[in-house]
Amino acid sequence: MAETAIKYDSSKCTACKGCQVACKQWNQLPSPLLAEEYEFTKSFQSPLDLSPNTWLIINFSEVKQDIGIDWNFMRNSCFHCTEAACEMACPVGAISHKDNGAVVIDEEKCIGCRYCVASCPFSVPRWDEARNKTFKCWQCFDRTSAGRAPACVSTCPTGALEFGDRDEMVAAAKERVAELKAAGFTKAELYGETELGGLHTIVVAHRGLDAHGLKRDPKIGVTEFWQLLKPLGGIAAAATVGGLGFSFLMSAKYKRGEFTYDEATDTVVEKEVEK
Amino acid sequence: MRYIQRQSAFARGLHWIHTIACLSLFATGLMLFIPQVAGAVGVATLNGARLVHRVMAAIFIGAPILGIIINPKGFKHFWKSMVFKWDDDDKEFTKKFFPYLLFGAKQHMPPQREQKSGQVVADGAIVIFSILISLTGIVLVWPATFGGAGSAMWTWSLLLHDVSMVLLSVLLIAHIYIGAGIFKPYRGMGRLMFGDGKVSETDALYHWGTWAKEELRKGDKVTTA
Ligand code: SF4
Ligand code: SF4
Repeated sequence: MAETAIKYDSSKCTACKGCQVACKQWNQLPSPLLAEEYEFTKSFQSPLDLSPNTWLIINFSEVKQDIGIDWNFMRNSCFHCTEAACEMACPVGAISHKDNGAVVIDEEKCIGCRYCVASCPFSVPRWDEARNKTFKCWQCFDRTSAGRAPACVSTCPTGALEFGDRDEMVAAAKERVAELKAAGFTKAELYGETELGGLHTIVVAHRGLDAHGLKRDPKIGVTEFWQLLKPLGGIAAAATVGGLGFSFLMSAKYKRGEFTYDEATDTVVEKEVEK
Repeated sequence: MRYIQRQSAFARGLHWIHTIACLSLFATGLMLFIPQVAGAVGVATLNGARLVHRVMAAIFIGAPILGIIINPKGFKHFWKSMVFKWDDDDKEFTKKFFPYLLFGAKQHMPPQREQKSGQVVADGAIVIFSILISLTGIVLVWPATFGGAGSAMWTWSLLLHDVSMVLLSVLLIAHIYIGAGIFKPYRGMGRLMFGDGKVSETDALYHWGTWAKEELRKGDKVTTA
């Protein structure tokens, strides 16, 4: 299977949230049904964050201008990194790459340890306390493996989301960035071509990465630390055992006499003993 | 032969409880820490281990707290013996300790008080990292109270929990080696925590010279059997 990717073009996104709804519908992710379940923040973003039952949201960055505001939308979901920190951190191998590059959590294997939650540079995976499992977007692998586009892409009415061969998506995104620059969006940038070995969500950020809240040069830092700590811990424990084994051998011939204390004269006497 | 009652039944009981909790915590924690083991034992075992880890953690944290509440005098005594000024004997002891440990040389070690300088450093480190591993463990178990799983505080706690575990394993291997008397000059020391808590006059004078003389002079903890 060739590598595939979702392309998100912020300049075409109207934040209709159709993708959010489609994701919930296809993956059967319930929304809270109570009134005022979500905090009111004066932003049009809703809900405010990802959750075990919300794998995709459109982030709103509403920047006030002299006249009106700039709407800097961003698709917030798993980027399906090639160097996926979550996959490296998972101790039970519950996270894996599919051939097309999608990063998928196997719910059956997940033990809810949350190492992936701590590792993801984009804070994507979310842990559900009640089920003690972690959840995130799986790029609708059930659909894509059957030759269909992910649910969010299928529903996007403006063409902001597209899905296809990764190289083609990158090429189209580059072209779009050039177009946008020519049209006056001088800060337009491409995201995902090389980050973390190449992401499987490619972004056209028409006002630049910072305006859309995209992390420049993301790192797998925490995961690297664990990958170092584990062998180092093993080496430290082995060195301690080795050092003490050496001490044990060296002390095998150790011998001392028997001490007694004479309180009257405040002296300690050592008597040789045969052993 | 005279003996000094060095550890009370209360201290020994607490140490027993802590030993069991500590070893279970290591075994269950390592299952997750070593991916090869985690993968091999399977989800059901790991879920069981998670439960055992939590129960044992409650005992690990609760037992010493309860100990302090029940026996505040004992704790005060322990605390006093751990906090003292570092004098010339202590400096000399620290300098000579590693050659003594590694080469079993017939080093003449300076006389020591109730806690040796080395004990204060090693046991002090064990206490500090035990507190750190307990506090971070509490954050890990109740993420919602601390900003949620994935928050900076929660992530730091996970990191520090793992770092403390690595440091504690090294410290505890050495603690067992010396405390259980596997190291020949310390033969018989296992009796202090896992036996009747008594130390013979000769061992007491060798290990804690200053303290032994004081106790032998006072006599209230001295027995002949
Ligand atoms: S964005 Fe996070 S959850 Fe998604 S693949 Fe990358 S590291 Fe894993
Ligand atoms: S929470 Fe689940 S998916 Fe995440 S690291 Fe732990 S076992 Fe793996």
